[in-house]
Amino acid sequence: MPEPHATSALGRLGGHAAKALAYLVMILFAVMTVYPLLWLAMSSFKSTREFQLNMLGLPRTIVLDNFKLAWDFGEFGKLFPNSIIYTAGTTIGVILLSVLAGFAFSKIPSRATKWIYGSFVIGILLTLNSLMIPLFIEVNVLGIYNTRFAVLLVYIGAGLPIGIYLATEYIKAIPTALVESARIDGAGYFRIFWKIILPMSVPVATTLAILNITGTWNEFALINILVSKTDLKSLPLGIYKFSGSLSTDYGKQFAALTIGMAPMILFYVVFRKQITRGVAAGAVKG
Amino acid sequence: MTKAKRIDREAGRAYWMMSLPAFLVYLLVMAFPIGLSIVLSLSNYSGGKMFGGEQWSIVGFEQYARVVRDPWFWNALKNNFYIVLVSVFGQLPLGFVFAYIIYRRLVKWPDFWQGILYLPNIISIIVVGLLWQEIFSPNGPIAEAINLSARHQFESKLTAIIGLKGHLDLGDGALGRMLALGGPQAVNMFTNPLPELRDLIKSYPVDQYKQLINDLTNLFVTRWTPQFLDKKDVAMLPVLFVILWMYTGMYLILFLANMQKIDTQIIESARIDGANEAQVMRHIILPALSGTVVNSAILAISGSLSSFALIFALTGGGPSRVTEILSIYMYNNAFLGRPNFPLANAIALITVVISMLLVLLTKAVEGRYGGKE
Repeated sequence: MPEPHATSALGRLGGHAAKALAYLVMILFAVMTVYPLLWLAMSSFKSTREFQLNMLGLPRTIVLDNFKLAWDFGEFGKLFPNSIIYTAGTTIGVILLSVLAGFAFSKIPSRATKWIYGSFVIGILLTLNSLMIPLFIEVNVLGIYNTRFAVLLVYIGAGLPIGIYLATEYIKAIPTALVESARIDGAGYFRIFWKIILPMSVPVATTLAILNITGTWNEFALINILVSKTDLKSLPLGIYKFSGSLSTDYGKQFAALTIGMAPMILFYVVFRKQITRGVAAGAVKG
Repeated sequence: MTKAKRIDREAGRAYWMMSLPAFLVYLLVMAFPIGLSIVLSLSNYSGGKMFGGEQWSIVGFEQYARVVRDPWFWNALKNNFYIVLVSVFGQLPLGFVFAYIIYRRLVKWPDFWQGILYLPNIISIIVVGLLWQEIFSPNGPIAEAINLSARHQFESKLTAIIGLKGHLDLGDGALGRMLALGGPQAVNMFTNPLPELRDLIKSYPVDQYKQLINDLTNLFVTRWTPQFLDKKDVAMLPVLFVILWMYTGMYLILFLANMQKIDTQIIESARIDGANEAQVMRHIILPALSGTVVNSAILAISGSLSSFALIFALTGGGPSRVTEILSIYMYNNAFLGRPNFPLANAIALITVVISMLLVLLTKAVEGRYGGKE
């Protein structure tokens, strides 16, 4: 019976080759992924002059001026608080409205659910980018162009379809008996919401938080048409200011881009597990 | 009976108080804008006050007819299709391969690879767009790396001919080889190449040959300034590369998360029964993931058709509109120069319809060939 031995030895050899190939593929793509970002971070510490002479190497002298110049020119001191307000407001708004509505849709029987919940589910297929123009006109007609309110309203609206879908499906799985026995004990629906549903919805709320934090912090297309005042702009709008004529002022531009990517990378390093899980859970369409 | 009615009314009130805030936001931000978009696309509204300003009215489908006749619409649509193709047939398979490698433990440290490959997704699209614009610029790092290596090669070849020790052969043969290294543009630098080059070299003392090699390299090697993003016929390629670079990790995450739901015992017992890796892949992993593949394809399609910011930052649709996509074509018609809101809305709605049709097509393909779960 030599055959099994032969195949297993061959198989082991094939296994080693497969592993080597796997490492090769992973290393190649990992380097391709990380190198541009490292290059950017590295370049942000070089003066424009040094960058032109030494484009690929490590910085010979560390120049921190770039960051100060970029910070001042981009008015990041104003944009950072704005981005935080938009991100926090959107995240809290979407979570609260989604879990509230999800509770109603899944635990309070109503003939309206089919229509209202159904319209949210259809909304998942829509992307607000394609509604840029009517939103712009609507916001102008309502007189809320250039207001934080409009940005938050649109951002929360953008997050709701997926938020309500995930929250409703999640709360459906909470035993109805819990709600019913609380009802028999005389608790009102809002009390049940605060005491039972919201605490039990922490996992789905985490997913929604992840989706909305990453989505809102980096959003560009919509806020670009909703505000024009620097006082109301978010970080991505500020970074966009460094394109065009400023793109040859390398030191400053790279510093601005580094400032732009640093907070999210930090967030990612700390919450990588939750982000990965949240993204996988939230990738629903159609 | 009255008590039951009271409870009913209380439940009804709670239902509306809980669902209405979300529904109102939905109406304001999604439902109403869709209606407005449809109305505008059929109108002759030309900006200004919506109500009480200049009169505007519904005029019918003329803007749609205009869009379909505009060659730039077809150009943008073509680019969107390239993006869909790169997403569905590039990002998905690559993401699947990465996920498979990690899932089957062909490499150690699964979290490390996953963490790195997902990284670009987390960064602001604007940062990604501007970063790659610099990388692809004629004086960017790609050009620099290629120039440096060309220079280095030239220098070592030149050193081989000249040598550093001073036994330099100034015969026509050696000089001819030096000129050949530099190519035709080196020959064209001189009116009388061989004697002039000989005089030039003679002007350097032997101990300065390093300097001589350096100077000759500077003279003969021309910098290459590739116009990746400015060449009309190829500008879409770097754009597609960046899209692949940015989003592949997303599908890695999706595939891996769903692979991890597969019962490992099924795979192990199949392996014990003599199934090889390819059979495990074909008969266990792929069937279990068919739903994820379809869902990912739908995500990729609708994401591709609604993408805006990346190309807005990377090329702005240029050079001379060749990398324009539908959303930028729409944006420019609405917000650049004299606004044409009806036309822009017609473009937006056509995009939405195309996106939905492609999604339905994907679902139909799944219904026909899939469903092995």
